[in-house]
Amino acid sequence: MMRNILLVIIGKLVLAFSKIFNLGSGSTWPGHIALSVNKNFIKDILKANDNRLKTILIAGTNGKTTTGKLIQNILEEDGKKAFQNTAGANLLNGIASSIVLHSSILCALNYDYAIFEIDENTLPLILKEIDNPDFIIILNLFRDQLDRYGEINTIAKKWKLALDKLTSRTKLILNADDPQIAFLGDSRLDVAYFGINSQKNKNQNFQHASDSTYCPNCSGKLTYNYIYFSHLGDWICKKCNYKHPKKIYTSSPFYPLSGAYNEYNTNAAVLLSEKIGIEKRIINSALRKFQPAFGRQEILNINGKKVQIFLSKNPTSFNESLRTIRDLNAKNILIVLNDRIPDGRDISWIWDIEFEEFVDNFKSIMISGDRAFDMALRIKYANSSENQKSKIKNQKCSEKVKTIENLSEAIGESLKSTAGKEALYILPTYSAMLEVRKILTGKKIL
Amino acid sequence: MIHNAKYSLTFGWLYPELMSTYGDRGNIIVFQKRCEWRGIGVEIIRLDLGFKTDDLSKCDLLFMGGSQDKQQQIVMEDLMKKRKFLRNRIENGIPGLYICGAYQFLGKYYKEADGTIIPGLDILDLYTESPGKNSPRLIGNIAIKLNAEILNAKYLIHNTNVVGFENHGGRTYLGKQVKPLGKVLKGFGNNGGDLTEGANYKNSFGSYLHGPILPKNPEFADLLIKLALEKKYNSPTSLSPLNDSLEENACKSIAKRLDIDL
Repeated sequence: MMRNILLVIIGKLVLAFSKIFNLGSGSTWPGHIALSVNKNFIKDILKANDNRLKTILIAGTNGKTTTGKLIQNILEEDGKKAFQNTAGANLLNGIASSIVLHSSILCALNYDYAIFEIDENTLPLILKEIDNPDFIIILNLFRDQLDRYGEINTIAKKWKLALDKLTSRTKLILNADDPQIAFLGDSRLDVAYFGINSQKNKNQNFQHASDSTYCPNCSGKLTYNYIYFSHLGDWICKKCNYKHPKKIYTSSPFYPLSGAYNEYNTNAAVLLSEKIGIEKRIINSALRKFQPAFGRQEILNINGKKVQIFLSKNPTSFNESLRTIRDLNAKNILIVLNDRIPDGRDISWIWDIEFEEFVDNFKSIMISGDRAFDMALRIKYANSSENQKSKIKNQKCSEKVKTIENLSEAIGESLKSTAGKEALYILPTYSAMLEVRKILTGKKIL
Repeated sequence: MIHNAKYSLTFGWLYPELMSTYGDRGNIIVFQKRCEWRGIGVEIIRLDLGFKTDDLSKCDLLFMGGSQDKQQQIVMEDLMKKRKFLRNRIENGIPGLYICGAYQFLGKYYKEADGTIIPGLDILDLYTESPGKNSPRLIGNIAIKLNAEILNAKYLIHNTNVVGFENHGGRTYLGKQVKPLGKVLKGFGNNGGDLTEGANYKNSFGSYLHGPILPKNPEFADLLIKLALEKKYNSPTSLSPLNDSLEENACKSIAKRLDIDL
């Protein structure tokens, strides 16, 4: 115990220190130190607090941060005390850090709920640290950073093994429209399913970046009655008759953010809140006050111009960002592609984005980031007005698409070419989003 | 120079649904656009699970990408049924590009960590081994120099450097009947040991390079298009040049990461 108290104090000093000196990676250092001295740090502290504290874990490729923030807002509206790990700091050290930050120096966590967003590979690990969390929400599983996470079938298998060990104290909140996620609840009693009900988004065709189109039970090919996006929809396996769980929650009273993917996030958060027993009236009022997490449809006002940031980090989230901003009638967009560790070193995935469907809708496309030219190449091959027949580059096209590697310059140029009443929509990868915000707001966020 | 509608090519995309996890469809997009920009007619035939060999015989060029293990099993079962037919076409010199998992398929076998042998199509003289669970996957940006032996005077290429991203567990070893596609300048290549990358047999090319490989390496893409045209029309051709300045810049960003001059 003494050791953990010391670790919390050291951790808090490190956090204070990194805040004063504006050191970017401060949010994971305290946890890193705590875990290297006591590898059971997370387990110890949570166990010491489990009289009052309930834990909620959120996993999935896309939507973790937004869903966590929705839940926190609803809990707080209900008068509960809740904390969440810093967005993106979702490995063990990030989770330990958030415990350090929110713990008293006597290792007491004076909260009702801890909400942890969990990285794909970390979910099985954290379940060794937290015996039977109260709730686990699993949102989806899309291809993302194959160089880091590996293939999604492998992840799904590891999740299934880890979740099957849990007792019925843990309630699972699962996405019924994602076959691999729905399967995680198979043979378990304490499962509630969510989905969406959106006529507007129903499709009959697959997007190219679809992943789980094979039955998680027997590997047969799945048949879909309809698809919302990627591989999410109403599915059935005609080989083994395993099918979409029909009893699902799809009706949040209000959706604070645009796009089908945010309908999923919202329905997951509301379903969990209802399971906790929070009144509809309170949920509704929390949703109406909701402000997005940074970079997730966050709106900034820069010298009187509206700038909205749509974190876009894999083919599915990119497609959904493009669809959402098209529906918002976006004219000016800035795409920022980096290939640093948080983004994934491999950028092959940009060829799985359906740019062909969207490029014609935009008036000006600026491209920036470490791998700006790769993105420019992707857009060149998607642009119907790109025509090299005459060997002279099509004028209309070269005016429309511009590439500037330097991000500050690219942002400046994009703002300049955004007319008075129009908005600038920025679609960055993860590290690019942090940089964009740093430039636009003049300070770091981590 | 080719610049009129009397030429056309049919591309066969093997298992687009199952074998395209790594953005490899970019290669098909590049084939299509680089033909269209030159006025060469393009048809793309999707050869999905259970495809008919009749459709395969209509194709002038074949492409197949990589995928997840589960999907690869399903594809292998299907492909084994058409093995003879595909082998005949490859032996007859149909140009083709086979990436990662598809490249491994063409070999004699894949030996798993526990020693289990999974037979391959046995069309190309090469085999792949899993290095065991404790060995790392070979992941990262890669640059290679194309093998001069396979680029005889007929296929003059100015820039023989090819860049991409590799991500594979298996180590591939080449036999005497195939030539390496290139020599590793930076990265791992076939097995992380002998500095070879990919393989070439007749007009078929296998490689571990994702990225995808063709967008950033337009001369390699054009080489495949040219091979397909010459095979189909049975006469030497040269393609009209395109503006590849974005491609050059994209290559430079990889060179910078690998700390080499390309």
